[in-house]
Amino acid sequence: MFMLDLKKIIISCGIISALIISSSFAQTQTNLKINVDGAVIYPHKDGKYTSYLLNEQSTNGFNNHGRTPTLNEIKAWNIDVMPDGTGLPEGEGSVEAGDELYSAQCAMCHGEFGTGGKGYPTLSGGQGSLKNQLLKEGDEPPFRTIGSYWPYASTLYWYIQSAMPFANPKSLSNDETYALVAYLLSINDIEIDGVELDDEYVLNKEKFLKIKMPNVDGFYPVDPSRSDLKEVRPPLAQGNRCMSDCDAPEPVHIAAEITGFDPVISTSKKLIIKESETTITQGEKIYNDSCMACHANEALGAPVLGDKDIWREITSKGIDSVYLNGINGINAMPPKGGNMDLSEVQMKEVIDYMVLKSK
Amino acid sequence: MTKKEKTMNVTTINNKPNSRRNFFKKTAVYSMSAIAASSIVPISKLNADEIEITQKAPWGTKLGDLVDKYAYGIPSPYEHNNVRRVHDLLSSGDRYATVSMTPHHLQEGIITPNGLFFNRSHGGTAHVDPEKFRLMLHGLLEKPLVLTLKQLKRYPSISRIYFIECPANGSTGWRGPQFNNLQFVKGMTSCAEWTGVRLKTVLDDLGLSPNAKWMLAEGSDNSEMARTIPIEKVLDDAMLVWGQNGEPLRPEQGYPVRLLLPGWEGNLNVKWLKRLEFSDKPWHTKEETSKYTMLQANGKGINYFWPMEVNSIITSPCPEVPWTDLEVGDKIEISGLAWSGRGTITTVDISLDGGNNWVEASLKGLILPKAWTRFSYIFKWDGKTKVLLSRAIDDSGHIQPSIDKLIENVGVEGIYHRNPIVGWEVKSNGEVNNVHVRS
Repeated sequence: MFMLDLKKIIISCGIISALIISSSFAQTQTNLKINVDGAVIYPHKDGKYTSYLLNEQSTNGFNNHGRTPTLNEIKAWNIDVMPDGTGLPEGEGSVEAGDELYSAQCAMCHGEFGTGGKGYPTLSGGQGSLKNQLLKEGDEPPFRTIGSYWPYASTLYWYIQSAMPFANPKSLSNDETYALVAYLLSINDIEIDGVELDDEYVLNKEKFLKIKMPNVDGFYPVDPSRSDLKEVRPPLAQGNRCMSDCDAPEPVHIAAEITGFDPVISTSKKLIIKESETTITQGEKIYNDSCMACHANEALGAPVLGDKDIWREITSKGIDSVYLNGINGINAMPPKGGNMDLSEVQMKEVIDYMVLKSK
Repeated sequence: MTKKEKTMNVTTINNKPNSRRNFFKKTAVYSMSAIAASSIVPISKLNADEIEITQKAPWGTKLGDLVDKYAYGIPSPYEHNNVRRVHDLLSSGDRYATVSMTPHHLQEGIITPNGLFFNRSHGGTAHVDPEKFRLMLHGLLEKPLVLTLKQLKRYPSISRIYFIECPANGSTGWRGPQFNNLQFVKGMTSCAEWTGVRLKTVLDDLGLSPNAKWMLAEGSDNSEMARTIPIEKVLDDAMLVWGQNGEPLRPEQGYPVRLLLPGWEGNLNVKWLKRLEFSDKPWHTKEETSKYTMLQANGKGINYFWPMEVNSIITSPCPEVPWTDLEVGDKIEISGLAWSGRGTITTVDISLDGGNNWVEASLKGLILPKAWTRFSYIFKWDGKTKVLLSRAIDDSGHIQPSIDKLIENVGVEGIYHRNPIVGWEVKSNGEVNNVHVRS
């Protein structure tokens, strides 16, 4: 049971601390109802769930909006494989075929013989390393691989079939998946029913069901009987609410600071001028600052930027007359649109821009 | 003198123009009798003028953006550093199967904006066509069911504020402090208002077998992310959600539908959801055997470790937002976030002296189960080096442990569920550094 198992660990670390943890946690427990995970179950009561108000009308019958799946549909999606072999399809594949597939589609990330690469998981080795603790420089860490860590081969089959190769998942046939499983077991020196997996070994469903992974008993608390869930889970570690004279040690500082964040850590609010903004033309800038207020809006009567028909008519007497009208004013538009700061050159630039945008 | 030089001079002379204290400091130059005699000394004679006030602001003297410039609005361009960040150390080999961190130091309140919600996936962000989305419920049900998105959204909805946290949040601290910033110390958690249907509401009509003890939740993405959930959680507060902070779920959060298991490890909240199967046995999926198990010092791994522990972090000050601009005697608020996957935050204690003495902080704002909770403590900066700590307690009775208490129980190789008290050293110049108090 979980509580007992956790206590065993705690006892192995120090009996005194175990007593403190269990007693101090018990003391602070409340009368609230607790779920299997140790969390509080809040009632749905009197139209409320904690601070939230509820609609307490009946919620039955909404499933009528859906439909029953067909058997073929369930079959298409229900491809998971459980530890007892439920869901495992028929098929077969040899270690040799798996080796070829692995070299072609897996080794670029997971390394030759599953030895790992870049940040991708190492798939082989590590047996006997699980009690390692990397506490100081030079210590070996534990290596969690298929052979050293994974409790069930069903996970291996299902993982490869549904999610590998990483960039091209769901592309392998059942036979190919059997072959890869056979290869990965062989490089982890895992035997099936006492038989070593050499190159010629062919794995099939019947043999698969006999696989016993080395670390099958390496986990707790969950087993299919759910005996573990009869007790509520305590937290991993319980704090102590000391309020004064708590005898705290000197703080430990960062020994080797890690940098290399992307983007770089900064709280600066200084504007970054992007390249795209610097390539904005002078004409566009003048338009945005001085002309847009009238020329972007049909309601004001000015020729709207982008209205091809109107601008075709405006430019029909030649560009020079457009420049002149712009500089001297026309109809409701005052000279230079009222922007007397603008030079004639600037007026031409902005007119060029507006003409171009309206072609 | 150019306009720019003038501005710079003004700011150099007068770096705190609006401060009442500066006013009084300068007032003190004039004798007490002068004040008494002439009653009030005009402010304009004491402080140099700021052009921010005396000149017309450029944004006030021209038209602003058109209201429809952005059909979907974006933050101020000045806030370009309020962004998620990544680090190659935390990746599984590339930037598909990795995590981007929420910038807590620039967040307000208890709701994370959707664009800043931390993002962890196992095979990249999938883009699911909502018209082609189907959700299947089958297994130990009398009436298996297929729903389109439209049909699912017809169910009566609830909206709840819950945090989500990756169980690896804080995992870089197992062997000592390594990152000198808040974003990478605790950035793998965010909080949002989620809208969807309670899973129990859907199951009430489907004839769930009494033998159904476990539910498999499976995603439709590259990684076919799948996890096994005990029926107790499914029937308590689990939700199928399609809304996030008032809009459809973001693709990064599983658009169009994800599972929400309030308070539990982020990865259990399966995104891009496609299938829920019910069984009498657990599945032992890849993400609950090869990953998301917690290896203990005795060589055994804890599997199916679900709720996120009680936790807290001071977000102001922090290494990114230090107190370097404070002057001795300034009043200042210490504030931060507390949360627990096991219930509701009841108490947060703060220590200013590295854990020798503690004082209870004020909780502020909404206090909700399995949601971010803000805490606050106001004090006067004395310019002396401090080590700030926060310690949260929830209503299940869980008290945030010290660093060594957790290591004593579980060793340093568990990767996940690291929730001990975090320390910020504030130096006399106001700089803030990540430190570990190993009690």
